[in-house]
Amino acid sequence: MRRIALPVAVAALLALGALVVLELMRPSAAPTRAEQARLIAAELRCPDCQALSVAESQTAGAAAIRRQIVEQLAAGRTPEQVRAYFVARYGEWILLAPRSPLAWWVPPAAVLLGIGVFAWWLGRGRGAVAPTASPTGKARDRIRDEVEQLDA
Amino acid sequence: MAAPSLRRSLRWLALPVVLVPLGWLLFTGLGTDPRVIPSPLVGKPMPAFAGATLEGGEFSSADLVGRPAVVNFWASYCIPSCVDEHPVLLDLAARHGDELQVVGVLVNDTPDDARGFLDRYGQVGWPNVLNLDGDISIDYGVIGPPETFFVDADGIVIARHVGPLTTDEVARQLAALGLTP
Amino acid sequence: MIPTLGHITVVIGLAATIYAAAAFILGGRRGDPGVLASARRGMYAAFALVALACVAMVISLLTHDFSVVYVARNNATTTPPFYSVISLWAALEGSILFWTLLATGWASLVLYRYRARLPALMPWVGATLALGTAFFFAVMAWAGDPFVRVTPIGPEGNGPNALLQNHPFMGLHPPLLYLGYTGLAVPFAFGMAALITRRTDEEWLAVVRRWTLVPWIFLTAGIVAGAWWSYAVLGWGGYWAWDPVENAALLPWLTATAFIHSSMVAERRGTLRTWTHALVIATFVLTLVGTFLTRSGVVNSVHAFTTSGIGAWFASAILLTLGGALGLLIWRLPDLRDRRAPGAVVSRESAFLFNNVLFLGITFAVLFGTLYPILVEATSGARASVGAPWFNRVNAPIFVALLFLAGVGPALPWGGASWATVRERFAIPILSGVGVVVAAWALGVRDAAPLGILGLATFVLVVMGDEVVRGARSRARSRGEAAPLAVLRLATRNRRRYGGYLAHVGVCVMAVAIAVSATLGTDRTATLQEGESLAVGEYTLRYDQLVTEPLASDPRVIETRAELTLAGPQSGPIATALRDYPNSQTAIATPVVRTALGEDVYVTLLAYNTTSRAATIQVFINPLVMWIWTGGAIVALGALFAIWPDRRRRAVEAALAGG
Repeated sequence: MRRIALPVAVAALLALGALVVLELMRPSAAPTRAEQARLIAAELRCPDCQALSVAESQTAGAAAIRRQIVEQLAAGRTPEQVRAYFVARYGEWILLAPRSPLAWWVPPAAVLLGIGVFAWWLGRGRGAVAPTASPTGKARDRIRDEVEQLDA
Repeated sequence: MAAPSLRRSLRWLALPVVLVPLGWLLFTGLGTDPRVIPSPLVGKPMPAFAGATLEGGEFSSADLVGRPAVVNFWASYCIPSCVDEHPVLLDLAARHGDELQVVGVLVNDTPDDARGFLDRYGQVGWPNVLNLDGDISIDYGVIGPPETFFVDADGIVIARHVGPLTTDEVARQLAALGLTP
Repeated sequence: MIPTLGHITVVIGLAATIYAAAAFILGGRRGDPGVLASARRGMYAAFALVALACVAMVISLLTHDFSVVYVARNNATTTPPFYSVISLWAALEGSILFWTLLATGWASLVLYRYRARLPALMPWVGATLALGTAFFFAVMAWAGDPFVRVTPIGPEGNGPNALLQNHPFMGLHPPLLYLGYTGLAVPFAFGMAALITRRTDEEWLAVVRRWTLVPWIFLTAGIVAGAWWSYAVLGWGGYWAWDPVENAALLPWLTATAFIHSSMVAERRGTLRTWTHALVIATFVLTLVGTFLTRSGVVNSVHAFTTSGIGAWFASAILLTLGGALGLLIWRLPDLRDRRAPGAVVSRESAFLFNNVLFLGITFAVLFGTLYPILVEATSGARASVGAPWFNRVNAPIFVALLFLAGVGPALPWGGASWATVRERFAIPILSGVGVVVAAWALGVRDAAPLGILGLATFVLVVMGDEVVRGARSRARSRGEAAPLAVLRLATRNRRRYGGYLAHVGVCVMAVAIAVSATLGTDRTATLQEGESLAVGEYTLRYDQLVTEPLASDPRVIETRAELTLAGPQSGPIATALRDYPNSQTAIATPVVRTALGEDVYVTLLAYNTTSRAATIQVFINPLVMWIWTGGAIVALGALFAIWPDRRRRAVEAALAGG
């Protein structure tokens, strides 16, 4: 039972993952105009609030912008064109997330760099440490692990 | 591999590498004002607008062709800023009314409240566009009243001023428009 | 008279802390206990003095002494006494006064506690703390004097900022937060002392654990209380907007949490010592950065205090502190070499190190996002915004990875794990997680975020549950104890571990609550006439009437409220209002929240028409929100359990400290 438990668990996880991928790959219905409008409104900054989006804010200014978004979409503009419309009037400031790729790639790059340094540091002292898993001493390892575990 | 003493000396480089950019960032940050936002309209033709006015008539920005204009976005609830700038605007219109046109645009306001404001703080001789649906505010990228746009005779926006108008700012923009303050 | 006294105490306090710093340095170098005792007394005196100054300010606020500029700006004759007292920290100068009170309080506490122990370290701990508090006294003396007077004295004051006087949490959030911020100076001081005296072995870490966890608990509670307060007050139905000042509080919390984990590795395995030291420096510097962001006017924020010259003071303090601490660290780098080789790839210390990488990743992302507008403006003059969409998209994956790690860490032993251990420890948790996801799907949950987080949280909880069961079973078997008793005994004998488990349970609860409340809520906005009803989800709201009247507690404030009747899983009369404060241009929304275990009903009054008596209301049904605050409380409780004094441990610590 113990031998097959992990493979069963991993298999279940992979099956779930496969289902998720299938679900994501299923062609979803195109977003309705109302959904599109909400998405755009969530990315625009409400001009007369502090850091709220146009979707969340209830000020009259935000309501006017929401109305304009709906009108623009009804006139056939794409979401990108609608965003550009507002940027042309308010400046880049109106977008709650910067468009510059630098802004999006710097944090993940930093995390990856951190992981890289972490991996390098782990690999550094490899030679000095005796291998922890040996095919013959499995029982010995288990006992040592359990002892360390209770000791900590 | 560098000699240990060189490595040791190189470590100290970490100090300027960290402190210099940080110091630059902190102190330049202090020199900016996050509330002043430059307008993308500066240097471009003024967005056209038209609509009913508070006085009961109609106004169109096409009527402004050929003369410099001062487009002032205001509201009755914007106290004390709009109250503070009201005399400045009255003075501007009195002294330069024949050289430029002042136009008021209401921001999210009702005609009754706006009339109340003017009754209280002084009637004006220039048209005030109602802008009830807020589209003109969006076209001009207005963040909140009071905001004033200075437009030259060719219809190009030369400046936006956020906040109550001051006599200094008026003098500056008049000079930029080529008028004697 | 009283304000003048207040001002004098600030000036004397500055002198006292400078004296204390000098005496600590002198006494430390000479090893002279008399000088050191005098230095400590200087610190105690500074605390007493600033306490007197605070009393002076509170009296001025309660008596509405408008000769003091701070009182004139933040108080009015009609301000209720509760809000008068807590206006001590409502604005810039008062908040610095309050901060200094807490900072000198922590310093005095730690110096008193160890007055007869750790003779090598304490002089330098004292010097660091004295210099730090001297800075705040200097700011008060020169840049932000809370006791500045004004003539002629006006008849009435401005009153507190409207948003700061319509909810009692104004009395809870800032003190908790400041206790956390100021307390984090203590581990920093120990870190500096360890570097200066070259006693960078495990001694300082053993001592510093409690002095890090206590401020950490306050900071956690303060951040959660702040989110709860803004949820209850601001009216947009949310609780976290990645506002620069919110981020400022989060940054030191992130590095402090990373420090708590890495210090465990440093203490047990003797590795990651340089890194741990760097973290304690980063945490303290980030508390200064947080203060800078809040008070300098550099970023746009809900919290922004008035712009003033204070920014330059804090910027300089940040640079000097970071420069000094970093220089010290580089100088003593040879002392901080690893005592052991790094453990195996699959081991608890590598899980902790990975945890640190991720925490620092979030710290970097949050700092980058907060400073990006300044960066863009400084380089190109353009204005950019970085708001919730960016922060959520960038940080969410890292938080998810951290949640996963919280399940991995406790299951792995120190040093390394064999394949057999991995097989045994993770099989059932993974299966449980998958099972819960499938069950949730079957029950109708279709959104990816709640499903994924539910699965992960289950994984983490089952890993920890498995550990508890395993330990209790072996203990019950070997000692013949009944299972529940075994668990209790095990928990009280391993407070650190079990406190950590409890804190992680709290994190799981918060994670699920946040994921569900963010995706599965609904809201509706409608304009109603008196008598009309609105249906939202399982609830119906009937709008009864509009009432306008002055507030009983402060008659200068006019409240217009929409009285409603709620029907559904929760029912009863509720009222939501808009308040007109004399010192505010716009009316302030006072939303109403009805909380139940499963969801909150949250109603905001957006607008009303006095002639037609129509009211525009927005109704949110926010699921599981109370579990966010509860989860936060569980985290704090877990940490409290972890540091609760243990008779056996105290004996060990005393033995350590005696050296």
